[in-house]
Amino acid sequence: MLRRSRHNLASRIFDRQLHSPRPGASINSVRRFYENLVPNYTIYDIDCPENSFRKFTDDGLYLISFSRNYQELIVYRPTWLTFSCKGEDCDFHGLPAKAKKFESFFTQLYCVSLASANELICKDFFLYVENNQFGLFATSTAQVHDAPAIEGATPGVPPIEKITFHLVRLQDGSKLDERVFRDDFVNLAHNMGVFLYDDILCIVSLRFQTIHILQIRDTGCFVDLREIGLFCREDDELFLNSHSQYMLPPGKKNQDELSNGLQQQDVQGSSFLSGIKQRLLSFVFRGIWNEETDHTLRVQRLKKKFYFHFQDYIDLIIWKVQFLDRHHLLIKLGSVDGGVSRNTDQHPAFFAVYNMETTEVIAFYQSFADELYNLFEQFSDHFHVASRNSLHVNFISSHSNNIHVLEQLRNIKNKSSCSPQFVKKMVASLPFSCQSLSPSPYFDQSLFRFDEKLISATDRHRQSTEHPIKFMSRRLPLIQKFKIKPGPEADVVDNRTRRISSFLFHPFLPFVLSIQQTYMQPTVVNIHFRR
Amino acid sequence: MSASNCTSSSAGGGGGGGRGRVRSWSSTTSVSSSGKRIQKEMLEFGADPPSGCSAGPKGDNLYQWVSTIMGPQGSPYKGGVFFIEISIPTDYPFKPPKVVFKTRIYHCNVDPSGNISLGILKDGWSPALTIAKVLLAVRSVLTNPDTSCPVVSSIARLYLTDKAKHDEIAAEWTLRFAQ
Repeated sequence: MLRRSRHNLASRIFDRQLHSPRPGASINSVRRFYENLVPNYTIYDIDCPENSFRKFTDDGLYLISFSRNYQELIVYRPTWLTFSCKGEDCDFHGLPAKAKKFESFFTQLYCVSLASANELICKDFFLYVENNQFGLFATSTAQVHDAPAIEGATPGVPPIEKITFHLVRLQDGSKLDERVFRDDFVNLAHNMGVFLYDDILCIVSLRFQTIHILQIRDTGCFVDLREIGLFCREDDELFLNSHSQYMLPPGKKNQDELSNGLQQQDVQGSSFLSGIKQRLLSFVFRGIWNEETDHTLRVQRLKKKFYFHFQDYIDLIIWKVQFLDRHHLLIKLGSVDGGVSRNTDQHPAFFAVYNMETTEVIAFYQSFADELYNLFEQFSDHFHVASRNSLHVNFISSHSNNIHVLEQLRNIKNKSSCSPQFVKKMVASLPFSCQSLSPSPYFDQSLFRFDEKLISATDRHRQSTEHPIKFMSRRLPLIQKFKIKPGPEADVVDNRTRRISSFLFHPFLPFVLSIQQTYMQPTVVNIHFRR
Repeated sequence: MSASNCTSSSAGGGGGGGRGRVRSWSSTTSVSSSGKRIQKEMLEFGADPPSGCSAGPKGDNLYQWVSTIMGPQGSPYKGGVFFIEISIPTDYPFKPPKVVFKTRIYHCNVDPSGNISLGILKDGWSPALTIAKVLLAVRSVLTNPDTSCPVVSSIARLYLTDKAKHDEIAAEWTLRFAQ
């Protein structure tokens, strides 16, 4: 009895007055208050505009949503309940009818049109530039499936006629800048093809196999920093062009104009390795070369391990890229088939660490390499980077910072007896998608326990279940702290219809939106909060 | 080396080295005899590889080889790793193989698309020569460019008139494109 009471809100506040937390652990100890402040009250099926809700920004200032026709951006400011009830004993009454309204919780800030003509907003794409409160959105036209192959484009990657990235100042909704990619393919689903670190942005063009590095300036404009792909340094192309003019034989010019033209074409459509591929192959080559000192053995090993697979290396394409810090990129490479499909697990993959400044490949791994897995197990947080100084990311549970998650991982690992399949499956999540995890304390696994199949910090749509999702106390294993039930209150059990739910957790308030969509039926939005 | 050899060299470029190159299957015996010869060369190459060079067939195709040449010490190409594709004709060794740089290089004997032009790969070819000897010749031409018969005459001219400047540019190319 005594133990239990020590964890109620009042005793915790007294405790806080008496004991100062251990150095560096003040946030951790303050976060324990979330065990007492939980979203345990649900308002079912609120009266809500027909928007597609995307997410709360990580500072909790904005709720991002798109209009039903995916043309407009509609931004709300989350406010706490803005209604009152008359009379005494408010706590025992039900909430007034006004509480069922969306407007009682949110104030619309503005609605701006982003998409023009035949473009639509990509509903799965949104990045938040926290320092400046800028939002990055994408609009695109439909995919063209029977497009003719063009020079420099990867065959098998269907082009999208126009992809536009919009930079919006979220305070007032003004459009600051945009960047257009034409006849290109950028994987926009779940921010896969784009990664933001501090103020630098990397956009992966799958079709032209180019990593575009841009900077978002405080003034709200995009500045090109470099393009990695065909060339590695920003002035390589300029350098080459200035020298190819120099290389053209000046004497021949007058004699034969035609052959001169041909020669220039050769420079364009040459069969040279791209800059990044040259770096990669040379790294692999040097690795094998240095493994062996005896020249004869070395050449035999190269023949088996390098030349035999040479074409496979050449055919590799860049799938996905993330920043590791301001200079290093983690690049995942694989076959063309795996790049476009969403499920890349079946395809063999490779990982390269590339330094943009020195244009060097620093490491190269196969997807079932134990070495990479060990790094992933121990230093998972180093892959989850968003910026040098973002605090909330440090509290997102991972197996590197949370003993319970590590235990789960170890369990799975022991069951699978550390097979290459297991390693491959685990590192399949690398490189991480940018800003894909919710920083909500209710996903902190040192505070709560929940079924990760039903709900997790990863921002994904999930198949609904009939039963409410339980959040159990981590400290007291049998105590249920709160539950979240998507969908209407009195739910008719009907297994025939597929219901999809998504959950938007406020980053720090006990406040959750659950959205349930059923085919051919209106969307049901519930609000879960602490009454 | 004859003058006609020189002029024909630039025309010899173009789309070589492709994987799906159509070969003329004139007779099965010639294919198998060239195959046997290549197989033999491969074993010899494995037993006694020329220094600084390595090579091997690409996948299971005996007629497409890949080789790597490390830029020789003392040349402006040092520190570079140059990938080279060697396409061997079906009537090998009676016809010379075709050698193409896959790595950009600033060299007076390599045309802007990467085709290397050497006497022994044209009229100077002899069936007694081997892939290993070709690679050695390519490697030696990196140290000593053949300025008497260049494909890019401006580079040859610069090499002859201002070698320091030439080496500086070649080293810059190596740093940018052959690392």
